Amino acid sequence: MNFLAASIESLGAKVVGWFTVGYGMFAFLAKAGLLLLEPATWNRATFDVVVKQIYFTAVQILHVFLGYALVISWLIITIILSTARDFGLTEFASEMTIRVLVLELLPFLTALFVALRSGSAINTEVALMQVNNELDALAHCKVPPMQFEFLPRLIGGVVSVVTLAGLAGLLALLMGYLAIYGMNVAGFEPYTRTIAKIFDFRIMAGLIAKCALFGLAVTLIPVTAGLETPKKLFMVPVSVLRGMMRVFFAIVAIEVVSLALKYI
Amino acid sequence: MAAVDALPDDVARVALDLPLRANLSALDNIALIPLYQRHYSAAESSRLAQAMLDQLGYAGIAPLRDPDMTPAQRFVTKLARALILKRPRLVIDRPGAMLYDVAYPSFIRQLAVQAEMTGTWEIFDFSWNQALYQA
Repeated sequence: MNFLAASIESLGAKVVGWFTVGYGMFAFLAKAGLLLLEPATWNRATFDVVVKQIYFTAVQILHVFLGYALVISWLIITIILSTARDFGLTEFASEMTIRVLVLELLPFLTALFVALRSGSAINTEVALMQVNNELDALAHCKVPPMQFEFLPRLIGGVVSVVTLAGLAGLLALLMGYLAIYGMNVAGFEPYTRTIAKIFDFRIMAGLIAKCALFGLAVTLIPVTAGLETPKKLFMVPVSVLRGMMRVFFAIVAIEVVSLALKYI
Repeated sequence: MAAVDALPDDVARVALDLPLRANLSALDNIALIPLYQRHYSAAESSRLAQAMLDQLGYAGIAPLRDPDMTPAQRFVTKLARALILKRPRLVIDRPGAMLYDVAYPSFIRQLAVQAEMTGTWEIFDFSWNQALYQA
């Protein structure tokens, strides 16, 4: 009986914990959203930090990321083409390539890439700022941490994931064309027709929204996880661990919901 | 130290528990204030911050980040950040905790002469350190 009560108590504590974390994240997001609407937020200083964040999150890794996207795209395209040939479905190869790579795989991998590189760094930095009292020092100086530290990271994350996924998608489209038609321009018309057929308004809007949500997940969750860190240095790795697990679940959840909305 | 915690908003504090932003240089830590509070341009904010460091006699520490500074340099940066706030009162909270590498009463006195600021400087320190200030 005691075991049952303890189990229920533990489960209840976990559920309450999840709700608290979820509420904290949405409250933070709402605060950031409201701040975005305020004209005073859009001063030169915030803009400069946003530009810096986009540089660190997207521009600095561009060559590595494009190389990685190139290899992955080439591999997947080759697999799809050879499988399509084996099953006599060559005419569907271009559509399959675009759907698998551009709509699903590349945005997902982009989010993972940015989460592992920038999300973990953001989580660690915010946790250290919290532990070292740096946020209190900023508050004492009346420098708003939301405008100076957090909002630029959220905007930077969204812009970076959308842009990187877009660039990787364009690269995959080019690779797809070269793999299917080679250097022959005769394939241009049917290929662009296939692209136009797939990328209707609904799909485009869904793709951009999904990438924006990915971008938000890989920055918002690490920031809020960092802010939850108790003021003890040994809790920083625990905070990063928790934050990154949440990021992973959020990315998978966004992908699953997007697939369900599209194909079910 | 409840007295320090209860200080009003118009007091600029220099304290161990109000650290510098670790990933910013000394100059950027100081320039943040005019940039965000007075909405100055980045160039003008940096110019004001550099002028403050020049005035305190520590122009050379501008590019250093917190972990690369000596305790005295870190203290000067915190002091410059507090001075640029332009609040009527400046409280230095337990200077011995921040300035363990220099004879701090004379060091602070020297900085106060160089800063030539209006308003008052107050030092909150442990009573057993009183003798240090009378020397």
